This record gives sequence, C-alpha cells and structure tokens, in this order.
Amino acid sequence: MATVNPALDELGTTEPLAVAEPRLLHRALVSLWHDPVALISLLVVVALALVAILAPYFSPYNPNHIFLNGLSADGAPIHPDGTFLLGTDPNGRDVLSRLIYGDRVSLLVGVVATGLASVIGVIVGAIAGYVGGIVESILMRLTDVVLSFPILLFCIALITVTGPSTRNVVLVIAFGYWTYLARIVRSLVLSLKEREFVTAARTLGVGHVKILRRHILPHLVPTIIVYSTLGIATSILIEASLSYLGIGVPVPEASWGQMISQGQQYFQIAPWLLIAPGIALIITVLAFNLAGDWLTDLLDPVTTEIGR
Amino acid sequence: MNKEPAVTAPGKGTAATYAGAGRDHFAPIVDVRDLEVHFRSRRALRAVQTVKAVDGVSFTIAAGETLGLAGESGSGKSTIARTLVRINRPTAGSVTVAGEDTTRMRRDDLRRYRRRMQMVYQDPYDSLDPRMTVLEAIGEGLSVRGVTRASHRRDTERLLDRVKLPASLVSRYPHQLSGGQRQRVSIARALAVSPEVIICDEAVAALDVSIRAQVLNVLKDIQDDLKVSYLFISHDLSTLRFIADRVAIMYAGRLVEYGTSSQVFGDSRHPYTKALIAAVPTIGGRGGGPRIGLSGEPPDPARLPSGCAFHPRCPLAQDICRADRPALRQKQGGQMAACHMAPDAPAGEASV
Amino acid sequence: MASSTPFLAGADASPVRSGDLVVAVEHVSVSFPSPVGTGEVVRDVSFSINAGERVGLVGESGSGKSLTARAMMRLIPKPGRMSQGRILLDGVELGTGPTADPGTWRGTAMAMITQDPLSSLNPLVRIGVQVTEMLHRHRSLGRREARARAVELLASVGIPDPQRTLSYFPAVLSGGMRQRVALAIAISCNPRLLIADEPTTSLDVTIQAQVLDLLERMTAQHGTGVLLISHDLGVVADFCDRLLVMYGGRIVESGPTFEVIDHPAHPYTRALMASVPSMTGRLPDRLASIPGSPPIGGVWSKGCSFAPRCPIARPVCRDEDPLLVTQDQGDHAAACHATGDTQWRALIDGLGAS
Repeated sequence: MATVNPALDELGTTEPLAVAEPRLLHRALVSLWHDPVALISLLVVVALALVAILAPYFSPYNPNHIFLNGLSADGAPIHPDGTFLLGTDPNGRDVLSRLIYGDRVSLLVGVVATGLASVIGVIVGAIAGYVGGIVESILMRLTDVVLSFPILLFCIALITVTGPSTRNVVLVIAFGYWTYLARIVRSLVLSLKEREFVTAARTLGVGHVKILRRHILPHLVPTIIVYSTLGIATSILIEASLSYLGIGVPVPEASWGQMISQGQQYFQIAPWLLIAPGIALIITVLAFNLAGDWLTDLLDPVTTEIGR
Repeated sequence: MNKEPAVTAPGKGTAATYAGAGRDHFAPIVDVRDLEVHFRSRRALRAVQTVKAVDGVSFTIAAGETLGLAGESGSGKSTIARTLVRINRPTAGSVTVAGEDTTRMRRDDLRRYRRRMQMVYQDPYDSLDPRMTVLEAIGEGLSVRGVTRASHRRDTERLLDRVKLPASLVSRYPHQLSGGQRQRVSIARALAVSPEVIICDEAVAALDVSIRAQVLNVLKDIQDDLKVSYLFISHDLSTLRFIADRVAIMYAGRLVEYGTSSQVFGDSRHPYTKALIAAVPTIGGRGGGPRIGLSGEPPDPARLPSGCAFHPRCPLAQDICRADRPALRQKQGGQMAACHMAPDAPAGEASV
Repeated sequence: MASSTPFLAGADASPVRSGDLVVAVEHVSVSFPSPVGTGEVVRDVSFSINAGERVGLVGESGSGKSLTARAMMRLIPKPGRMSQGRILLDGVELGTGPTADPGTWRGTAMAMITQDPLSSLNPLVRIGVQVTEMLHRHRSLGRREARARAVELLASVGIPDPQRTLSYFPAVLSGGMRQRVALAIAISCNPRLLIADEPTTSLDVTIQAQVLDLLERMTAQHGTGVLLISHDLGVVADFCDRLLVMYGGRIVESGPTFEVIDHPAHPYTRALMASVPSMTGRLPDRLASIPGSPPIGGVWSKGCSFAPRCPIARPVCRDEDPLLVTQDQGDHAAACHATGDTQWRALIDGLGAS
C-alpha cells in the first residue's frame, strides 16, 4: 500500500509554517477593544490634541479679550452661565476660552520639550553605552550632575537666568528632562551590545554606525516612546508649576498653571477658577500616563514574545 | 546532486572564490600557531589574576575540510572561536587565514578579513535580531559583500535553497521559526558573505536530536558544493565523529590530542581522550562495565596545575607529569598527543 | 514552622520490597488555556513505577515529558492544570485524604531534581541551611543532629570537604557539585521515587558520568525508584530498566530497555535512534533525519501526531489515533497502526538505513 508521505524531503515542508503575525495596528485595535480604560485615555489624548490644534475653532471667544461685562457689578468674576460657560476670571476674560488655549500651550510645551529631551537623551545614552570608556564616564558624570538637581528646581534656576518666555520654558524643561532617558538608554545599549545578534553583525563586518542604526536603535524605540508619553505628562506639570510660580509662560497668555495660581487666590469667591484648570490638568496627565502604559504593553510583546 | 556555481557573485570587494583559485592547494586555509589568549582580571583587594583561557594552541584547517574541536567547560574552545573572528584579541601567537597574518591587521584589513571567517552560534534564539525579517538578516550579509538591494531577494532565496528552507520564509520573523529553521537561517547569513571558513560554535547543541541531524546534513551538503572549511566546536563527541575529518581535543586551554577522526576516536593516545570517549553514554549500553574512570573536575583556568594540566585526574600520572608540561608530539598511531606516558612515533614518520 | 507529618511516615523505617507499586499515573492529561484547540500538551498518559525500578522517559521538546513530571509532583506551572486523570502514590490518590497537603509527601515520599540546580536551590540561602531545613522539617531532627546528618549526606554524594560546603552559597559551586547537593537534598528523606528531569543535560560529559553513577549508587542503596527524563536516548538507555518514549504529548512506545532499543516497535523511536551518530562502527554519509519538527502541542489534528513526519504512514494513520497496544511479548507496547501487520511493521526496521 502506498505511504501517505511518499516524498518527504529535508525541506521540512511538513513543518507548520507559522502564520504571518498580526500587524501592529490589528493588535492595537484588539487590545483597545478589551481595555476600556486605555481606549478612553487614548481618545482623551486625541481630543486634547485636536482641541490644541483647532483651538480657534473650539474657543468661543478670544482668550485675552477683556469683556466689558466680564465682571459683576462689584468687580467680582462672573459665575458660569449662559454666556460664559465656565465663568470669567478676575480680569473679565472667558475662562473656557483660556482653558482651551491653555491646552494648546500645555501640549505644545509638553510635546516639544519632550521631543527635544528625547533626542538629547537618546544621543547621549547611546553614545555613552556603545562607545564606553572615558566617553561614557564623562557623559554619565554630566548626566549625574544634572540629575542631582530636583528637576523643578533645576528648571526654576535656569529660567531665572534666561528669563521667562514660552521658548525658554520649552528649552529649560528639555534640558532638565533628557537625563532620565539618557540613563535608561545607556543601560539598554550596554546590554544590547552583548546580545549575540550584535556580535553576529560585527562578525559579518557591519560597521558601527550601521549596527547602531539597524540593530540597537530599533530595540530602543519602545522604551523611547514610553518615556516620551510619560515625559509629556511630566513636562506639562512642570510648565504648570513654572507658570504657577509666575516664571513660566508670560502673561497675558493663558496657561493652566497660571490659572491655577490665580484661582487659588480667589477660591473663596470664585471656586471655578481653580477647579476648571485643576481638573483639566488632572485629566490630561492621567490620560497621557495611562496611554503610555497601554503603549508599553502593546510594544513589549514584540520583544518578549520571542520564543522563550 | 546538482553542482551549482558558488554563491559568490563577482562584485565590489569580493573575497577570493572558493577552491583556492590561484592559490597554493597545499597551504592550509587557516594556520594557527602558538595561540594564547590570556585575560587579566583585577579585583579589589586581590592580586591580578591571569586566566589562561587558551595557552599555546596550534592547528591547521585545509580548504574544504572540517576540523572538530572538542572539550568540556573551561577547555578554551569557545574562546578560540571568538578569537578567530576577532571578538577577543589574541595575547600571543599568530592566526594566518588564506596566507595573511591577521594578528597584525589594522582596521581596514580586518574588515576584509572578517568576511573570510564567519560563525554560527549556539543559541538559535539570540543570534538573529528579533526585529529583522529573514530577508533583512541575510540581506545584511549580502550588503557587506556589495550586493545591491535590488538583488537581495533573489540571492536570499538562493541561499535559503542551499540550506533547504522554503523561499516563503523570507518575510518571517525569527520568533515564527523553529530552532532548526533559525540555525539554518544563520548558516545562510554566514554564507551570504562567501566565507572560506565557517566556525560552528556548538551550532547544534541547542537543537532537538532529530533536528540536529537535518542541520548536520545541510552543513555537509554545503561543504561538498562550496568547499567551505568548518571549524566545528562541540562537546558532543558523536557529532564530531560524524562531521569532522580531523579532530583536536582540548583540555584547560591546551591541545591534548590532534589527529584524524579515526585516529583520535578509534585509537586514542591521550588518557583524557580515552576517558571522554568512555564517558559518552551509548545506546548499546556498557554491558554492565563501569561507567567512568575519571573523578574530579576540570581545573580553574586561573589556577592551572603545574606541568600537565590533566595530571591531578590522570590514572597514569607520574612525577614527570607534575613537573613538565608535555609538548604535542607525534605518537604511535599517527596522531599528535601531549602526554609523557604515550609512546612517541619513531622519527621519520609522515606528519598529520 | 510546624513539621508536617510525612505521608508514609515510617516509609524509611520499613524495608522496601522490590516489586511494590509505588506510583501509578492514570490517564493524565495536562492542558493550558488556549483560544484554539484543546490546549492539551500531555494527552492521556498512563504508566506505573515499582519500588526500586528505574524508568526512563524520553522525548524531544514539545513531547510533554517535563510537564508529566510536574504533574506527578503536582507542580504544574499556572495557568496549566491537570485536566484529566489521577496520580496514585502507594495506592492513595494524590491531593486527596492524607495527601491533600503536599507537604506530607512532596520532597519526602516523592522528590525531584531538575536540569538547573540553581533554580531548585535557593541562591540566596547557604547550602547547609537548605539541607538541614529539609531534615528539620520532615524528620524533626534537632539542630546539631541535622547538621551532622547534613555533613554525612554531602559526603555520601561525593562533595569534598562537606563541612566547609555547608557554609557556601550555591553559586560558588560548579554545576556538577550543585547537582550533587540537589541530589543530597532530594534523597535526604528517603523518597520512594526520585524524579530526575534532565539532571545531566547542562553538565560536561565526564561530570555527567559521575552524576549518573552517583544516582545509580544512591538509589540502589536506598531502594529508591527513579524516573529519569531526558532527550538523550543514550543516557536513558544506559541507566534505566524500562523505557517510555513520548511524542506529541502521548506515550508512543514503552517496554524493557533492551527490547525497545533492539527491536523498536514505533517508527519514531527507530528514526530517533538512527539520527544519532554512533561512537563505534561505520558512519553513514548523511544522517537519517526526520523531516519537519516536533509538534508544539495545544492543537491536535485527527490521527497519529507523528503521521505527518512518518515515512511509513498510511491513510489510516491520518484518520485514527493509534492506541498503545502490547506487541507479542507481554511488556513491550507501541502506539502504531503497524503493530500486528508484520509486513508493515517490518518497514520500521528499514528506517535509518541510508
């Protein structure tokens, strides 16, 4: 009787050929479907971004416009009502509009500062980890020096030197924050350097730059993304703190930190002045943090799923 | 078996083609002389320790031949592999590949040299970048050889065919492949730069037994077609017996026996080799005889015994063994062995 | 910590009679939750081990051999579980009655050593403490007695300078030494059965020989039964009286060692032996390899799990999963449709001749 497998060869054609792995987007959507918290956070982040970009369309009024009827008869801010959905501030400006434009400031500062910090941090960390030796020592000591300052104090110190402006706030936060990523990237690169596939590439004769670009950097991306999303939240908080102290984004530009500072003073008579930006800040930071968590889990399986 | 032309395609910076075109047929492809690799470790509050991982080793590999390198942990066999591909630096001695002494090479020459000697690693899971597809991994090797991106796919498919893998695997990631498939991809990647020598560092040790046979067969096929030389490192003697033409047995960083496969396995002259062979469990059974003759453990490479490194465990040890380190000499039987107790061959016999 | 009354208290007091059934594994299946298929990685495995007997369990990755061992110790890693069957220790089903608390029998009546002793030995605790802890808990020995006994134990497994070794941490020792310590701990309470899961796989071959020798000696001395698990047919064939070959979560062949080795009744066993180059005799130009790779488990198609790779498979092999049936000799069984068909079965012997 004929055998069922007449021509088995070493090709291993009987091996179950693995199905192509579900694409990242597919996995992302599936995980969001199962994780309502992450889904909401992500939607909130997207909403915040949209509001920031399209602020003029969302905002009912000009945020810096002082309304003639913005204050009540005895000069107090107006309660939230039909005209001013979140009331007015002690200067007679619409709180809602200021909140929306404040979102723009926060996100702008957050994203740009974090982006800059990431670039600096990755470069410093990767060079330190890969090159090693005295270069690594110098770079890491530099990192340690910056790290030894609490970041907020560091930023405060820098800003008093440079003078407050939106640009300076961004720069100052970036210079304070890069160190965290530099440290992480350095230790990641140190361990990646020893992995056998890097040794294999060196043996093949691949140059150092190519190795960094093709083998090391792609493995850093998940970490970079995660730290960046968390960094955005941190940067927003730092900006708010600087503005709260009056050395952040300069008046009259709307900033949540500034609004909180002001709101604190007027809390007894106009509590909405504090509550509105406060809640906005909390929601923003939470959303970015949770979205960052979800992103970690999403990206990690690619590296941790590898047949261990 | 169809004899395909060598995978080497003429191109920028191509290494010499196989089978010694225009080269002396009798000169070995690899000639290692008195290789020493010592590591100095400085520890706080302790004296500088010298770890003699490789302590004066010489061997040759001819074109198209397989030299097996056997030994247990601490023997130095993996260090030799890493030194040959210049991951470690030799402390002394010379490594000559295709006529060029690599120990004195500078960076540009080293780049060129790197292509001549490639390595397949023990861990099939870590030696491939998990974020690169098979096509990209092999393509990396092709790029080093100067093959243009456009030809990558075609050349990769040809290489996969050579290691008996279906072309459809090009877009797979390592974690979608089995251990045996991954090792074959590693072999294909090594072949991509058209090396003269491939070092297999325990390349099949981590594979299932039935898969090992597949990979070993593929290696033999490649050798028949392309005349690549192998330095096959393994602790598994039966694998070496199958694949190696000549064998070198290492102990504590030194060569203790060196000869053809049939000489070393069939008529061993060094007591360590004999003990090693006796310790291999065979399916046929021992027939009730004792399993071992060897007690104790391999020595700490930082603190080697005086004289012959094996003397503390050797059943034949005499005073001379404690005092003098035996040189590798030709013994009766034809192979070289480093043992005071093994009778030398009469002067004038042909060397291995 | 109160010492739990060991199950079979007095097991080491009463003389062990060869031939007593110690462990019976009955229709055990182990499965892991899986979106597709049954998720079974061990399928309907049954076998038994008598006192003092040495049984070998051979298989490659995915065969289910390690999980079978863990099922016996009731140490299946979550989220897996034993979905079917039972394990009987001296006639009592494990997990019920006197054996409900694993502390009464795990480590005492039934002990296990694994491939990597660094995972069974706590790297942060001194060796002396780990050995004496066992003695203290299960034998209620006082501190001084336990220490003395520990030194004895370490000496009996061939550790040089056992007194000093008591104060070492496991990482200081070599692999062979660690395995000896693990063995000492495992036999310290005179178990009826010792499960050794790939105990020598990570050791050098000369050290492997030493450890196997030790295993042989110690178990003969105490009449301990051994279940030796390995992917290395040579190791198992050398050591064991009986062999069990696993493939695809099932036992595909079982019988006395010399029977299975000399007259394999399953094509997988035969092909496995043929794919290992021997140390003596003529070597083939190419090794007889089995194409494809072993199944990973969880999803099983109808029919014999080896059929896709089997060179002598026939249509019936794809349709029906063969049962483990004995050959003409009483003890030798194989799960292959070729059993009983002399002509078909004869093809098995032809495998591996290249």
